Amino acid sequence: MSLFLLDTYAHLQSPMHRWDARYKLIGLLAIMVAMAAVNDLRLLPPMLLLAAGCFALSRLPVRYLLSRLRYPGFFVMAVLLLMPLLAGSSVLVQVGPIAVRREGLLLALLIGARVVSILTVSMVLFGSQPFLTTVQALHALGLPALLTDMILFFYRYLSDMAAMLERMQRALWLRGFQGQRLQRTTLPTYAALAGSLLIRSYAQSERVYQAMRLRGYGSTARPRTGFAATPSDALALALALLCAAGLVVATVVL
Amino acid sequence: MHLADGILPITICAAGYASTASLTWLSLRQINRLPDPQAGIPRASLLAAGFFVVSWIHIPIPPTSVHLMLNGLIGMLLGWYAFPAILIALFFQAVMFQHGGLLTLGVNATMIGAPAILAHLLFQRARQHGLIALHRQIATGSVSFLIGSLTLAISVLIFFGVQLFSIDQIDPQLQRTALITATLGYLPLILIEGVFAALVCTFLLRVQPALLGIPAPAPAALPTLPATPPAQEG
Repeated sequence: MSLFLLDTYAHLQSPMHRWDARYKLIGLLAIMVAMAAVNDLRLLPPMLLLAAGCFALSRLPVRYLLSRLRYPGFFVMAVLLLMPLLAGSSVLVQVGPIAVRREGLLLALLIGARVVSILTVSMVLFGSQPFLTTVQALHALGLPALLTDMILFFYRYLSDMAAMLERMQRALWLRGFQGQRLQRTTLPTYAALAGSLLIRSYAQSERVYQAMRLRGYGSTARPRTGFAATPSDALALALALLCAAGLVVATVVL
Repeated sequence: MHLADGILPITICAAGYASTASLTWLSLRQINRLPDPQAGIPRASLLAAGFFVVSWIHIPIPPTSVHLMLNGLIGMLLGWYAFPAILIALFFQAVMFQHGGLLTLGVNATMIGAPAILAHLLFQRARQHGLIALHRQIATGSVSFLIGSLTLAISVLIFFGVQLFSIDQIDPQLQRTALITATLGYLPLILIEGVFAALVCTFLLRVQPALLGIPAPAPAALPTLPATPPAQEG
């Protein structure tokens, strides 16, 4: 399940990898928020430079970023292609009935740059540490234990559910079910498939809970520790917050 | 139907997070009032993972195929765990598949999760009125259809309402037309969602009614054989 291997490169060594997970969450999220607030085209170069700088510091391979940007890239391409043709009134170039409009083009550039910058920083955030460390950091920052427990269970059993669905679908195809065409039996069959998967999930969850209770789950509250930040972590956080504040102030002033 | 990062103004994203925080607080408060809140965590998580995977199924609707939202079903089956489950599923979608976004997580969670809470309340009320019961397949199916459709309809309205009022308006008339057209395009999906919810609920009613909050029927008593008279010694 390559889609789930978000932290494939979490083992690398880089300043981003060494940054305390809690401070990294706060710092990079602040940068992402600041990027989302940018609405002036003059701030696009520093915003893209900031995203590129974060990515360079992580030493993650470019192919990792490109593979993650593939799906949202379709959306960005659609925006870049359609908005200049549909939105705005000042025509830049006209070829027959097709007119490229200035306002649409500028808006498309703004949205495209924001999407790419924010996604790049989010990939640095989640790609530079194991996912379980991210969940621990969220718990340390105050996320309720119920939510972190649900995240961990969800993460642990998602691939099991996916494999179960794949087996059940293969069993359907082997018995002659034509799922690609809409017929009278299509929806009832898919509903039975979904219902069966939910019943199996339910039965497995009961076994999981009983097994965990036998091992002491729920008997004591989990402490919000496990991290030890250094002065350089705090300095990096201050720098990140400064960059974010700079972007926001520039957005307000310009 | 997920809103990606970089599209919405930051103020809308902040409002989304505020509403999500409120709904999460409400859900956690209700969950902590249950007799054994911890017992529901693995159940809700694994069912949420199951729903997440089920939503990947392509339902063929000519000329294309669609993925179902299933937020109505999630609300009906998970109860107060529905909103946290949807929040977590959206978080995973944003992080693992870059579908949706982290900054728009609040808006997306409110858009999909708030109607799920409504679905739970309506389903609970229907169960209290005896509409969801072992011997009431048609009523169960009808209620599930209505709740499943209504939940998605509300999500669609929130989705387009947020876009209508927040995205930079260069050509408001064109934007309004495009959004109204897209909203009408969701009507078939709303009906299909309702039908799917009804089919799943009637299936569960027959096979595992406990998932619908209906206690399993007591096993029928075995017939007792008449006592054989003792053999007479002649």
